[in-house]
Amino acid sequence: MSSVNGLNTDNERKWWRSLDEAVSPNEVHSNEMDEFPEGSGELLTTGDDRRHFLKIMGASMALAGLGLSGCRRWPKEHIVPYAHRPEGTMPGIPEHYASCFEFEGTAQGVLVTSNDGRPTKIEGNPMHPDSKGASDAFTQAEILDLYDPDRSKKVTYGGDDSSVNSFKEWTSSYLPDKGKGIAVIVSPSSSPTFHRMRRAFMKKNPQALWVEYAPLANTNERKALLHAFGGNWVPVYDFSQATTILSLDADFLGAGPLQVPNTRGWAEGRKVDNGTMSRLWMVESGLSVTGSKADERQAMRPADILALLQDEQISLNGAGSLTDEQVQWVEKMKVDLNQAGNHVLVIAGASQPPIVHYLTARLNELFGSVGTTVSYRQVDDGSNATIEDSVAGMKDGSIKGAIIIDGNPAYDAPSELDFATALNALPISVHLSYYNNETSQACKWHLNKSHWLESWSDGRSANGTTCIGQPLIEPLFGGLSPAEFLAILAGEEITDSHTLVRTTFNPKADKWNPSWRTAIHDGVVANTATLEAPPVNRKMMPDSTVAAERGMSVVFTPSAAVWDGRFANNGWMQELPDTITKLTWDNAALLSPATAEQLGVAQGDMLQIAVGSNNIQIAALPVPGTADDCFILPLGYGRKFEGRVCSGAGVDVNPLRSTKHRWTATATVSATGETYKLATTQMHFGVNTTPGKGTQERLPLLYREGTLEQYNADHGFPQHVGHVPHSLSIYEERQFEGAQYKWGMSIDLSTCTGCNACVAACHAENNIPIVGKDQVLMGREMHWLRIDRYFAFESDGHGGYDGNKLTSVAIQPLTCHHCENAPCEEVCPVAATVHDIDGLNVMVYNRCVGTRYCSNNCPFKVRRFNYFDYFRRDPLRSTGMLQVQPDYYVKAQSGGKTLRAMQFNPEVTVRMRGVMEKCTYCTQRIQRVKIATKNAWVKKSDAQKAADPRVAIADGAIVTACEQACPAGAIVFGDLMDTKSRVSTLHAEQRSYEMLEELNLKARTKYLARLTNPIDGATAPAGGSHS
Amino acid sequence: MTTIPVNTGEDPRQRPQLILHHSDFGSVTNAILRGNESPKPPKSWYFALAISFSLMSMLGAMIGYLIFTGVGVWGNNNPVAWGYPIVNFVFWVGIGHAGTLISAILFLFRQKWRTAINRFAEAMTIFAVICAGTFPGIHIGRVWLAYWLFPIPNQMDMWPQFRSPLLWDVFAVGTYFTVSLLFWYLGMIPDLATMRDRTTTKVKAIAYGLLSLGWRGSMRHWHRYERAYLLLAALATPLVLSVHSVVSFDFAVAQLPGWHTTIFPPYFVAGAIFSGFAMVMTLAIPARELWGLKDFITMRHLENMCKVILLTGSMVGYAYSMEFFIAWYSGEIYESFAFVNRAFGPYAWAYWIMVSCNVITPQIFWFKKARNSIAIMFAASLLVNVGMWFERFVIVVTSLANDFLPSSWGMYEPTWVDVATFLGSFGLFMTFFLLFIRYLPVLAIAEIKGIMPQADPHGHGHSYYEMEGETAASAKAAEDDE
Repeated sequence: MSSVNGLNTDNERKWWRSLDEAVSPNEVHSNEMDEFPEGSGELLTTGDDRRHFLKIMGASMALAGLGLSGCRRWPKEHIVPYAHRPEGTMPGIPEHYASCFEFEGTAQGVLVTSNDGRPTKIEGNPMHPDSKGASDAFTQAEILDLYDPDRSKKVTYGGDDSSVNSFKEWTSSYLPDKGKGIAVIVSPSSSPTFHRMRRAFMKKNPQALWVEYAPLANTNERKALLHAFGGNWVPVYDFSQATTILSLDADFLGAGPLQVPNTRGWAEGRKVDNGTMSRLWMVESGLSVTGSKADERQAMRPADILALLQDEQISLNGAGSLTDEQVQWVEKMKVDLNQAGNHVLVIAGASQPPIVHYLTARLNELFGSVGTTVSYRQVDDGSNATIEDSVAGMKDGSIKGAIIIDGNPAYDAPSELDFATALNALPISVHLSYYNNETSQACKWHLNKSHWLESWSDGRSANGTTCIGQPLIEPLFGGLSPAEFLAILAGEEITDSHTLVRTTFNPKADKWNPSWRTAIHDGVVANTATLEAPPVNRKMMPDSTVAAERGMSVVFTPSAAVWDGRFANNGWMQELPDTITKLTWDNAALLSPATAEQLGVAQGDMLQIAVGSNNIQIAALPVPGTADDCFILPLGYGRKFEGRVCSGAGVDVNPLRSTKHRWTATATVSATGETYKLATTQMHFGVNTTPGKGTQERLPLLYREGTLEQYNADHGFPQHVGHVPHSLSIYEERQFEGAQYKWGMSIDLSTCTGCNACVAACHAENNIPIVGKDQVLMGREMHWLRIDRYFAFESDGHGGYDGNKLTSVAIQPLTCHHCENAPCEEVCPVAATVHDIDGLNVMVYNRCVGTRYCSNNCPFKVRRFNYFDYFRRDPLRSTGMLQVQPDYYVKAQSGGKTLRAMQFNPEVTVRMRGVMEKCTYCTQRIQRVKIATKNAWVKKSDAQKAADPRVAIADGAIVTACEQACPAGAIVFGDLMDTKSRVSTLHAEQRSYEMLEELNLKARTKYLARLTNPIDGATAPAGGSHS
Repeated sequence: MTTIPVNTGEDPRQRPQLILHHSDFGSVTNAILRGNESPKPPKSWYFALAISFSLMSMLGAMIGYLIFTGVGVWGNNNPVAWGYPIVNFVFWVGIGHAGTLISAILFLFRQKWRTAINRFAEAMTIFAVICAGTFPGIHIGRVWLAYWLFPIPNQMDMWPQFRSPLLWDVFAVGTYFTVSLLFWYLGMIPDLATMRDRTTTKVKAIAYGLLSLGWRGSMRHWHRYERAYLLLAALATPLVLSVHSVVSFDFAVAQLPGWHTTIFPPYFVAGAIFSGFAMVMTLAIPARELWGLKDFITMRHLENMCKVILLTGSMVGYAYSMEFFIAWYSGEIYESFAFVNRAFGPYAWAYWIMVSCNVITPQIFWFKKARNSIAIMFAASLLVNVGMWFERFVIVVTSLANDFLPSSWGMYEPTWVDVATFLGSFGLFMTFFLLFIRYLPVLAIAEIKGIMPQADPHGHGHSYYEMEGETAASAKAAEDDE
């Protein structure tokens, strides 16, 4: 296990355990290192005076802290004020800096909060065209990667420590002339600086191969658009303009670089405008986030999706055939699309063959959508070879060296290439990587990459806008950014990222240049979007679809938790429950309940899946709504990198993936008879068991939804779902006299997609621990905000339900509702949970003794108990009988002594074991704004004060972490006393309802019922009886 | 001389004697104190003590492990935040109620048969309450702050939150323990004095001497003793009803379906007496066998206990059916689901164990044969306690496991620490009990003597028949029949 508290070496950043050590290392070391002080050894051996011995021991014990500070639980730390405070900063006041980072080649705009020089939280950048202030789960989790103890901290050559200077010397001696025999394999990037360095490199090394490879790159789309437009193009969608959307297996609301803009755009279309709203037609094999929000959905095997696009003129190779029901559905879909004018959006997923992407482009052009819902953009791509070419070269000897920048091809390259072996055999191999991962292990040189928060960078957003990324902290462990690395390889003189990026921006600008400083401040360079609307090539693309046979197929998807594996060592992502399956810490083969029954497997039973001559063993997880005979396999698990988080997580499905079968393949599947524990945060009950039926029965009350037609007929339809008796109170209920604010929240179930951005944001903001797989198995995950997912099924006519007929997927985020009549407050014996005048249910950590009665009485079960000191307990996947490792008892407290502690939000207490915690409506954010507002109010004139006696806070001044992250804007927080605030308006909407209102909780959080827009709107979604 | 019937079975016209084979005070004292005064207790006592003590040590180890590591070593989770420890708490507190009922309520009802069992039943109460009290103490997350549950003036100006049933528990169980302890001790004073007067060793003489508070057996002492006893009995009587009602409020005041019912206080009290009598029986049967107390704890006593078990068991059974009926009648989906789920959901096995042990088993006592068979009584008493433990398990765990929102539903599985702690509590209980029967007067010697014919202040009492109000004439008639 790597230890940042270990001895410093030349290459490691000197990093001290406490300010004491930094200031006076020698003095502190002597106290901490010597348990037994000088001279004590002799006392024992010489048999000297017993009294003298005890004196020394006693004194040393006192000095070592047992006497003076032994009873104190937290480590002694010194507060050292600045002698000369940097201008413009105030200790304790956080600062925000714009930055950006690339995800699959698209720059994500962020605003990073820095506390005393440490970045602690990432938000979206309101000025960024994609983000507009929102973020996704990956963005939120990136901050934890910065403080990952398993990140690579040094340069190694052949396993021995080395340095960047040694590498520089090595390149000048050993890199072949003109790049002959060198293959550079990079992850896709839109960074202008990176491409500038690429050009510089290629100028000096014209014979080198330049390969862009990413396991999840949309190569089929690229091929199609190459044919359609010539050149390298990507489509740019504007979902807000679309009234009718057809998605061919495109999970555009799901995880990916465009999740934020897509979700926002789609959510805008869900607002009812003149009684209309958008309609989403979806065909897919698995049940994805997008599929769960679709108004019309068909689960189809990949071959059948092809069949959908066939007609008299187009006949596709390998297409299946549609059932009659599916044919009728397609007819309705075509009629609907034709009616929509030029506000149609057709999108195809990465799994679709190039011909489908080409047809999609043609369709969009036909509907006149180009320029409104779809536009295109040319992208930089320096590839002059594919990864297959490079491996072929490695095998036949023409490629003698590989320089790999980021990525992990030894793990995720197509399996038939056997990349790791080929790489291992090369005399020259270099990997610039954040982790010393599988690829680094196979390379001679490993250079540690700096985190994007530690270096300057740039990139392009979805529509081409240039973004500038500034660092927030000096590199903790040294490290190079990809552009710096390339600069070194290209033999450039200037190799620091700051100058490189600034030179790309404007070669003549110095660091005081006003436009440069504006660009850094905003994070984006205005007016640099590069959208175009080129015409589509009329010549039909040759159909190269592989013929699909009948039988079982596997479908590869990115994982919403770890993407392609890059987040595998990020504890937050591993513990984030997948939206649809609620699975954590593992991947599983997702299949339909009917197929599961056919195979005789239930959740957790192991399957053997074979494609060609490769096979894997993976646990099964039946998911309603999956196409029959289809097995969805998420990528990114089964890493061989020994990170403390990712070890043992899931199964590597890459062996089944090959160049020809990049997204789907025919497979043979059988049950092995073994079982595996899958840690899901929601229990699975068979649909016709007592709990299953109970769920279906109460679902319409808890999660209220209706069609657009029902809504248009009766705006208040959610109020008629249940009967709530009028409750009288036998005692006088709290009136909140003298309250200046009345905090409340509204969550729109129509637009919430369950993307988990809010969960990740809450996790980051509130210092919430991760607990590890075995604790999730026991049901002890600590998420303050969780997303409930229910399946509604059609009744089977005999009083039960049909588990194969999914009618609706309910996605409902849940936090503490801050009930005015909070049941938890009544029952706490020590008054550790009380109500404040503004309506917050306040959890007093230092008073809580941990009886857990409040959790029992909470009907929403949003309270989380710290069963262990989770920050002391390594999130190991299994800890055996004793449930903790020995170092649990002696591990340094989280305060300031570990790398992880640097991420903590200093405004939120870190809770110890035995204490209950829950959502606080981000009380730290409320307080910050309240204090600032009140301070400002005090300085106002008397007239102004009289006009505003309540010290009103502007709507939108306080944003909770979840609200800020949500790309759909589904969560709105605000002051209910302000009748014009958004939350007041939303609470007043007829669509708004309170969950479990019959319990007379008077919750401050209300939900807006979900509206769907099926083509046959009169039918209410089935899902059990209605009261 | 007519034979003395030992059992109503033999002659239904005559009530069986309460004390067999002893006709004077001296032999009564000798018989009862034989267990205490024998130089060495029987081997079975040592054997039992060894096992109990090791179980008790295991309890101590588990508590230490728990406090150093965290509540997570148990199986508690979200949503089932209360598991074995609270089930065990209610289990042990319930058991204690029988002792107080026998001591106090039966005293006020002038039931003479209580005298043979009241001492060790009350001891059982004390020890059960000790076992019960450990559980809430250790189950809280931060045990070292448990004192915050007590209204002790402090620098924070904070009182506990008095509207919480857990606080009421603190007072109820605390009061219960205090009053029971006082009552038990007070009742023991004459017997401790008896032991003091008969001791052979110096240590014992001093110990019993101190404990007996200078009892001389004078009229004044007896008078005050009887007064105090009556007062404490009156004080303890409402506790039988109130303590377990307050414990039931832990559940009834919460709004969880399956907990939030008004039937809980009487239901719990009936259940407590039910399980308590079963535990008294479980202890009495081996004790009378191995400690030579058959003459005092007679079949009549056991039969009476069976009848109480039958009565309270039927009350518990009635309560179960009422709960079901009201859940259905209310039409409230969460409530009706809670009960259907108990019977047919994932914890159905626990539910049916509970029903078969609590509802079906005691019904066997309608049959006289069962009431007079030691084996059946013993087996039934064990089953009743198993059933009552499962009742609390079903109430606590199933209601929490499947409550309002299906998304938060979760199963509860005890860990080895849970089980070890529970078994350890039996060790604690038995250790105390075994020490009690060896070193303290196991039966209420003075009170037993008080129901013998010689003790009758009105001067009757040369024959056993006259004790029961028979005249010499009817006795002669009986003689003639033979």
